[in-house]
Amino acid sequence: MFNQYCTKAMHKNVLIPLVWVYLFFLSPQLFSQKVNEFPKKTDPLHKKVAMFNELMLGNHWNEGAIMQHVIFPPAGLDRPIIGSQADCLDPTSEMLAAYSHKYAITKNPKDRKIANEIFQAILKLEKVTGVEGLVARSFNQTNEPLWHEEVFWYHEWHQSTSMPGYRWLGDLSADKFTSIFYGVGTFWELCADAAYKEKAAALLDRFIGRVVDNNFKLTDLDGKMTLWGNFCPNLPHQELNSLEMLAALKVTHHITGKERYNAAYHMLIDRYHYDDHQINSKILFPKEWRNVGDDYHAARSLYMLMRLEDDPNLLNKYRMNLNRHWYDWRDIEFTWESNIWFLMVYKVLTGEDIFTEEKEQGIKDMWGFDRNTREFKIPQKDGSIKLVKAEEERTAAAMIRNYWFGRYYGIIDEKW
Amino acid sequence: MKTFLSLLSLLAHSLLVVAQEGPTPPEGMVYVPAGEFIMGSTYGDPDERPRQIASTKAFFIDKYEVSNEEFARFDPSFKFPPEKKNNAVIVTWSQADAYAKWAGKRLPTEKEWEKAARGTDGRVFPWGNTYDNTYVVWDQKETRGASIAKPASPYGCYDMAGSVWEWTSDWYKPYPGNTVPMEQYGEKYKVMRGGSNFNNHSFIRTSHRYYVLPEKIHVYPVGIRCVKDID
Repeated sequence: MFNQYCTKAMHKNVLIPLVWVYLFFLSPQLFSQKVNEFPKKTDPLHKKVAMFNELMLGNHWNEGAIMQHVIFPPAGLDRPIIGSQADCLDPTSEMLAAYSHKYAITKNPKDRKIANEIFQAILKLEKVTGVEGLVARSFNQTNEPLWHEEVFWYHEWHQSTSMPGYRWLGDLSADKFTSIFYGVGTFWELCADAAYKEKAAALLDRFIGRVVDNNFKLTDLDGKMTLWGNFCPNLPHQELNSLEMLAALKVTHHITGKERYNAAYHMLIDRYHYDDHQINSKILFPKEWRNVGDDYHAARSLYMLMRLEDDPNLLNKYRMNLNRHWYDWRDIEFTWESNIWFLMVYKVLTGEDIFTEEKEQGIKDMWGFDRNTREFKIPQKDGSIKLVKAEEERTAAAMIRNYWFGRYYGIIDEKW
Repeated sequence: MKTFLSLLSLLAHSLLVVAQEGPTPPEGMVYVPAGEFIMGSTYGDPDERPRQIASTKAFFIDKYEVSNEEFARFDPSFKFPPEKKNNAVIVTWSQADAYAKWAGKRLPTEKEWEKAARGTDGRVFPWGNTYDNTYVVWDQKETRGASIAKPASPYGCYDMAGSVWEWTSDWYKPYPGNTVPMEQYGEKYKVMRGGSNFNNHSFIRTSHRYYVLPEKIHVYPVGIRCVKDID
């Protein structure tokens, strides 16, 4: 609630918000911080995960959506002061998957309740746009533009007409498209009760159905294709996007049972050869073009797709794609938490025992984030820029998802 | 007689080629002849329709996007890392317009830009109809004209697909005959063309249009390629 007040004030008086910004950014010791306990790097894995989980739920929770970047301190606030939001669907889907895997192990209703709340936030990301099947990248409860809208990402913020008092970020990308079918698909598979299964299937039906209806394009409010929303057979697009679209259609057909998604899947294969096109999702050469960020979307797509496909010819082609990734992954350094997940996915999909002692140690050493301090350029009403130094937190959602994914598949020992 | 006719034919062909080559362009520019070309598309966004036969007068257009170093000659207060002196400059519309005037040139209209990028045959990309990563400067760290293969448009322009977006002089308005409503049409947004290193492949098509506020480009990398009228 504070940042709402802060934002409104920012537009009424130049000086008042600066006082608040200073109070919050420069004097955090004045306030009790909501979650402020960090694990030590030497702590056992399960303790690190539990503590980062508290940090994520306590400091990054925005009505169920998980914020990728919060500016500290939240100081006991109901909602965090948010930084960049373009990729919030990544941690949101990771936490949804994490709690789905966790619930599959614990069967604890509290875990299912949290998963349900995160899923509801994805529904809200659709509702806030006012257009059936159009999902926002993120939202904020506010009546006026927040300061960071002018600083981070493209100018794609809209005032919601369907949810008064909210603003939302548009121009969804293929990456976030993948987050949605991966997160919602995993939730449907492992965690949702009958009522939530129905809601999850209906959401994917609307979301993927809208993309299919628009000739396999993510289109925004203006009717134009989004900057990264191209899966269209009539337009040139990345090989990775062919893979993502096949995976999305497979998952949606699986959980809705609607034949149109199966028909679309086979149309893209039979008429447009997406099954061949997707094989080269991984660019291996020139070496400097290798992109582990794209690998993450491929890994999520292959994980969902290969477990549902039973045609041996198609499975062979998906395996060829996986093999191209493995060429890079087999020696990959664990520079970020998703690297570790690639190997887990590879093991789950192939059954190959690829975890050496060194790689297992990499899993045990997983880490979420460090709290950093940096300077933010805060735009002022008069057009000037104010530099404000503040603490910030990135996300630990991938690490938490990795842990429960590994636990679910027996890769991670609960005693680690 | 046969030899004479052959020589005459060769001479006529040579004269035709010379005529098509047109006047000698100023340094760093290429010549685009007057005439009709295919504009728009049937397969892109609704604002690219209808596909039409359009025409332009002859004009010169910059071979490359304007670099940081070139822009700094116009605006000495403009700062950039020394190692990026040959990278495309990123500026607002009014900066681009001011630079063009200072250089004795102007910003291209959408028609001029599209014709320079795709020639007369309605091709999808400056080099043809098939996409290839190696034809495009995808990385902002790269200097202008650094794509591995086939970088030039039919008239010899480089980096008209990818690198940075390029400003046009036009407001974002519907093409004649386009009936798809867009609340963004009017005199609020300027059109930028050519896509950048930060969007999907379809945005670098020669017919693709995108609108942006002229003075608030946020994180859109938009640069300059100027044209010059032929007296």
